[in-house]
Amino acid sequence: MRLKIKSKRRAFLCLAALGFLAAGCATPPPPEDKEGLAEYNQINDPLEPLNRTIFDFNDTVDVYVLRPAAQGYRAVVPPFGRDRVADFLDNLKSPLYFANDLLQGNPGQAGTTVARALLNSTFGVLGVMDVAKHMGISGHKSDLGQTLGSWGMEEGPYLVLPFYGPSNPRDTAGMIAESFGDGLDIYLQDNHLRWVSWTRMGLSGLSMREAYLDPLDDVKRTSLDYYSAMRSLYRQRRAAQVNDAIHPGQPGQHPQMTQKTDPAKSR
Amino acid sequence: MDRRIFLRAIAVLGAAGFAFPGRPWAEPAQDAEKFIQGLAGQAISTIADRQLSDSERAIRFRKLFVSHFDIQEIGRFVLSRYWRQATPEQQQEFLTLFEDLSVLTWSKRFKEYNGETLEPTGAGKDGERGWLVESRIVRNQGPPIPIQWRLRQGDDMAFRIVDIIVDGVSMAITHRSDYAAAMQANGGKVDSLLDTMRSKLITLRAEG
Repeated sequence: MRLKIKSKRRAFLCLAALGFLAAGCATPPPPEDKEGLAEYNQINDPLEPLNRTIFDFNDTVDVYVLRPAAQGYRAVVPPFGRDRVADFLDNLKSPLYFANDLLQGNPGQAGTTVARALLNSTFGVLGVMDVAKHMGISGHKSDLGQTLGSWGMEEGPYLVLPFYGPSNPRDTAGMIAESFGDGLDIYLQDNHLRWVSWTRMGLSGLSMREAYLDPLDDVKRTSLDYYSAMRSLYRQRRAAQVNDAIHPGQPGQHPQMTQKTDPAKSR
Repeated sequence: MDRRIFLRAIAVLGAAGFAFPGRPWAEPAQDAEKFIQGLAGQAISTIADRQLSDSERAIRFRKLFVSHFDIQEIGRFVLSRYWRQATPEQQQEFLTLFEDLSVLTWSKRFKEYNGETLEPTGAGKDGERGWLVESRIVRNQGPPIPIQWRLRQGDDMAFRIVDIIVDGVSMAITHRSDYAAAMQANGGKVDSLLDTMRSKLITLRAEG
């Protein structure tokens, strides 16, 4: 009976989200196939066909635009320069990190964020150098999706967003809300400096893509199914990040390895 | 007469306890850490040499892989519910292909070795015969990467690795998702999965 309610909710989700793209929904296995159904529910990707389409689209954009741009960035800008860009961009996000640290109930982390922002913005010349790290105060990132997760909100079904890639309803909502809460962007908008915002966004994307050049190439090269490998990696990483928010500074909860097909914690 | 033999036996057993640490009297948590440290040391000294040819590197890696990892256990976990559906021949073939794929993908990564070191930072029990070793990889650039090693002690008391968890991501779980999807793409037939694995091997070998 519980299964019936679950698939009712899923069916509604599908219809509500894509009334015009009914082909995007996956077909769950018949109820007689208990193991298959358990696996289907544990994977939690009811929009898989649609997600795969978007994933392929993202991959094409990546192969033809993003990856070459990142490679170019790596070829033209030496590691020192790339690190400065990354440090600068990271420092700009300090207010958001701070807000999320507080919302997560981590005053210690919040204090670290403030200390880093102050040190790096002054001695680090507007954040271009991460002097705080050399003083032993290393950094961390916090985002709203992670905060919501730390409050106990479930991530929901797997989603692949155009351009942004792997996500889920909770993290997507967090991203959207944060974009409205970014003080710098608000300031730039009010002062007709929208182009600076876009430049910052582009540079952020480039910087991040360059950092992930090797790991992503590796996954693509060695996986049998790139889509599922990425789905698994994303979810495990997110779970670890949410765990970091709940227990800062402690090694993560260990995903259980059991011989049963018990869906419990694995992804 | 019996008492003397009895006392001598006790003395011998007591001496054995001091002479042969490594058996139950030793501290297994430290042994687990030493096991990982030993693996890292051997890997660095035998595989991380940039002068090695790819084939030589693969051979040496395979030796370490087979002796330190419980491939049977990992393979069964990765194939999960399809393991039971497979015939013994298919299971064996799967394990062989899985070993080959692992050797190819991992030995290549050692090509990029750049002076990183592995430091075990602690170990704890993980179930009846399991151990979890905490460690981190210290790099020249960037923050250290936390890595956890999940070990299992066999009947022979030897340690074997059953999972590596990098930055919170379990390799076994990632592989399982990957292989499950590949199985489904192949209509749930183990033979089709084996074909996919063979093609992947050919592709990887062709890369050079």
